[in-house]
Amino acid sequence: MKGWNSGQIRIIEAFLAIFIIFSAVAISANLPAKSPNPANDSLASIGMQALLQLDSDGSLSAYIASGNWPGLREALNLLLPAGVSFNLTVYDAQMRQINMETVSNGGFNSQEITLVKYVCTSRSPEFHCYVIYLYLVVAK
Amino acid sequence: METAKKFGAARSGQLLIVAALAIAILIASTSIYVYELTTQKQSAEDGSIVELALAVKTGLRNAAVSALANITQGGQKTVLAENLDTLADAYMRLYLQQICQIRYKLPNSAGYEDGVKISWNSNNGLGVSSVHIPYMLKVLAPTLNATLNDAVNITTTLRVHGCCTVGENETLRTVNLTCMVFNEEKPAQAKWIAVYYEDDSGAWIPVNNPSITDWGNGTYSLHFTVALASDFVHVSVHVVDARNIFVVANTTCSQTV
Repeated sequence: MKGWNSGQIRIIEAFLAIFIIFSAVAISANLPAKSPNPANDSLASIGMQALLQLDSDGSLSAYIASGNWPGLREALNLLLPAGVSFNLTVYDAQMRQINMETVSNGGFNSQEITLVKYVCTSRSPEFHCYVIYLYLVVAK
Repeated sequence: METAKKFGAARSGQLLIVAALAIAILIASTSIYVYELTTQKQSAEDGSIVELALAVKTGLRNAAVSALANITQGGQKTVLAENLDTLADAYMRLYLQQICQIRYKLPNSAGYEDGVKISWNSNNGLGVSSVHIPYMLKVLAPTLNATLNDAVNITTTLRVHGCCTVGENETLRTVNLTCMVFNEEKPAQAKWIAVYYEDDSGAWIPVNNPSITDWGNGTYSLHFTVALASDFVHVSVHVVDARNIFVVANTTCSQTV
């Protein structure tokens, strides 16, 4: 009688073990789809969107073509969130630096620098293609 | 020894459950780790691909505006392909760890020739300057491949209609014109407007200082007087829009009673 009882308990334990493993597999297989959280947008995304916004009406290439670096600095200051430091370098299509004046809003005192690369084209009848490197850090 | 064997046999069921629990925890934690890793990576890459696609489209739009402004002011039609090639080369060289290809095919249909449509000569009061660029953006990154088919269309349209009245002096015709400027079918501002009329010998004569009223919504009223013997006045309106794109529309102004 005692042996018969222990046999039953073994079977129940085996079933319990199988149930535990299967429930782990079932839960893992049905993890819900997670939507990306806009609050977690990276610094690169913020920088890219600022450049896109400036370029959408052709003002980015207009600033560069006219050499209006203070104007470009002000525009980026307005578009980037407070607490983000930037440094911008503009190259021509042959990667020769165009801006001899620094386009920046402060010193970089962080090790985590984010680089945004952007190609900007002009709208003027005389076509120009610029390559922009925008370095971003969160000011501490 | 026998006691130990008995103990082991008695506890083997519990050991089985503990082992099952350990395996379950391993499976669940591995799955959750992989899931977190892939969703984070995927959402970041999706975001960058979307932004890259937007940047490419903005670049193509600007290159198209530049080419159309150049072509309508006397440039060669090949300027469009040259601009697009320059942009595509810049993107190819920009990213070292991934391939970013822009391929385009300039259409030769629906009035477009090598992607460019210039329709200025009809006498129905409609003038069109347009470029159309269907393109394919292909991104080959180590962890993600994406292909996007899209098109860029830049069109400046000018619509002109009007009438003329006979003054006290029967050779003088007072012409009233209404011009409407559109960019991609939305009202747009003109930067420069000039009007010409065809004299009795068939030559086009510029109208000096026509009265122009800007209604602020892309609509302009023009008013001027010319000396002509015919009952109607052929007019040609030339416009440069805010994007430096030139367009011409011709119409015939008949006498109003």
